[in-house]
Amino acid sequence: MLGRTMHSIVYDERHDEFVVPQQFGQAILTFRGGADGEEAPIRVIQGSLTQLRNPDRLAVDPVHDEIFVPQGNQVLVFPRAAKGNIAPIRILKGPDTQLGANALAVDPVHDLLVVGGRRGGESHLLIFNRTDQGNTKPKRIIGGPKSGLAHISGPFAVYPARSEIVVSVRGAGSESNEMATDDCFVGIWSTDDNGDVPPRWKIGGPKGVLRMVRGVDLDPKNKSVIVTDKRLNAVLTFYFPEMF
Amino acid sequence: MAADENTASAPTPRRPYISRKFVLVTFLTFAGVIGGWAFTARDVRRAEIGADRLVAYEPLPADSGESCEWTPVDTALAAVAGFPEDGANDSPPKQPIRMIRDPYASYSSVAVDAANDEVVLTDENLFNVVVYNRLENSSGGAVSKPKRTIGGLKTKIEFQSGLYLDPKNGDIYAVNNDTVDRLVIFSRQASGDVRPDRQVHTPHGTFAMVLDEQHQEILLTVQHDSAVVTFAKAAKTEDAPIRLLQGEHTLLADPHGIALDAKNDLIFVVNHGSVHQVQAGKPTLERSFGGGDGKANWPLGFGHAIPGSGKNLPPSITVYSRGASGDAAPVRVIQGPKSQMNWPTGIAHDPRANEIYVANDMGDSILVFPASASGDAAPIRVIKGPKTLIKNPTGVFVDGAHGELWVANFGNHTAAAYRLGADGDTAPLRVIRSAPPDKPTLSIGNPHPVAYDGKREQILVPN
Repeated sequence: MLGRTMHSIVYDERHDEFVVPQQFGQAILTFRGGADGEEAPIRVIQGSLTQLRNPDRLAVDPVHDEIFVPQGNQVLVFPRAAKGNIAPIRILKGPDTQLGANALAVDPVHDLLVVGGRRGGESHLLIFNRTDQGNTKPKRIIGGPKSGLAHISGPFAVYPARSEIVVSVRGAGSESNEMATDDCFVGIWSTDDNGDVPPRWKIGGPKGVLRMVRGVDLDPKNKSVIVTDKRLNAVLTFYFPEMF
Repeated sequence: MAADENTASAPTPRRPYISRKFVLVTFLTFAGVIGGWAFTARDVRRAEIGADRLVAYEPLPADSGESCEWTPVDTALAAVAGFPEDGANDSPPKQPIRMIRDPYASYSSVAVDAANDEVVLTDENLFNVVVYNRLENSSGGAVSKPKRTIGGLKTKIEFQSGLYLDPKNGDIYAVNNDTVDRLVIFSRQASGDVRPDRQVHTPHGTFAMVLDEQHQEILLTVQHDSAVVTFAKAAKTEDAPIRLLQGEHTLLADPHGIALDAKNDLIFVVNHGSVHQVQAGKPTLERSFGGGDGKANWPLGFGHAIPGSGKNLPPSITVYSRGASGDAAPVRVIQGPKSQMNWPTGIAHDPRANEIYVANDMGDSILVFPASASGDAAPIRVIKGPKTLIKNPTGVFVDGAHGELWVANFGNHTAAAYRLGADGDTAPLRVIRSAPPDKPTLSIGNPHPVAYDGKREQILVPN
């Protein structure tokens, strides 16, 4: 059921599973952590009740057993262990949310939901309570010219132990930099940040090795940040003990 | 794919612990990721992840805004590793300690210029269009030397999954899959980092194309929107498509390769099988992929998707009248377990034998069907096996002038030629090779997300 166009993957170490959205088939696929070869998913969320429209990214909260799916002006929340044609248990949606959601991450320790995306041509990180639903205002918003959040480039991560948000950022879109840009970096903010706040750290750029950064994940054991780069067609590992 | 990473210095495993009074200290002391949870008698939650990580926590007051004090980075370390929080440091950006990257070309589509005895390949790893002598043959595992290479930022070449060579003048048409919404066209002699002679703005997620020389049209499959769009062959820049095939009745479902039977006025499309339905009207997303909103015959994108309409069908070959448009049903469908299709990705038509060849990516095979096949049809020939060198084939081309079949193997740095009519575990006539045979193929193609599996110490990279 996997497609050739996958824009998110989350490994859930607690349950030893990984979860992938299937945007064309409007499905959420969960596999064994050790899945190999042509192995079927152990659970599939798909069907008319799901309200899944373009599940491009997702986040898994292994503590509270939930899956979060950003869909533009809304965030859908499903039980992690759900399968089949099931409705979301919560939906965050409405004008006060200010959502333009295209990626998100959950901090289950501090009960926060961090949603990244674009709205009105500007990129933001919106910080909600994890259980917020309906037309709820974000607690905090990170964005603006000083923030450098010109374009959130892909799936991002949170590191609850240090209340950090780790985001891949590329320069503002234009034809001249649609394929590669020196403006790329991985930025680290705090979930306590609010407003037009620059990142605490930048990794890999600007004017660094990154050419078109995409996704980010963390390896806390080895104090490393793992990054994909579309133009390099590569996976890079940065040792960055300061953030751990 | 999943790539193993060597971890040279694994820290000593830590044991979980947390107390209500020292939750903040615990956060700052123990690195980890949230995993399994249990409740103690003191209502303090613990988690142990695998054998070597922990996280423990207790809930904090709602909306405190001060849940975790920020610890400023050590400035000395920051100067080495990155920028401090004010970003005013002039230190160079941090370099990675490891990079997983394939240094060799991975071929995804292939076409032959019979008049000039050249074979042209797209490389979706290093982002080039590469031209070889048609009779190039790697012997003893030697790396093949191209005659010309087109690549670089000016070319707009990146993940070019579709390729066509104009039989009259050798012009090279190459279309991008998922990153640059452009069909780029170069003259035959183009080389290096040069601008395309012509560009056409395409819908997002095009995959393959076929040109209809008789009617001077370009037909493109669109993965994301399960559609086929047709442009005039002379289209340029922002010209709109002249025809659109999209809708529930088309049975298009994550379409990839496309082939033309000019004699019988038919087109063949191979589908991976995933699809959702769309409906016209006001889009429900702020932005629809592809940027063609308002253009005639532009496919309806995710902004028009019907929530919950998605499904996963078996792979298929759908056959249409050449000029089919709108929500037209196919005239025939090949689909079912006997067909052996598993991510059928490339397709070509052999007019002399009236057969279709399918590059069966996950089956490591080339499937051959009569062009008239229908239903759960078994292939009449299957090229597969260790002698064939076929591994994750994504491109296939019929060179009728020389009676040869070409296959681009994304999975092993090769493209190979076979005689038309080859069957079974048949060795190729010739092989073009971008890397020595012992070099692993990473098969990374547009890595977007990444996940770290701490239990196995593996990096998961969907493509």
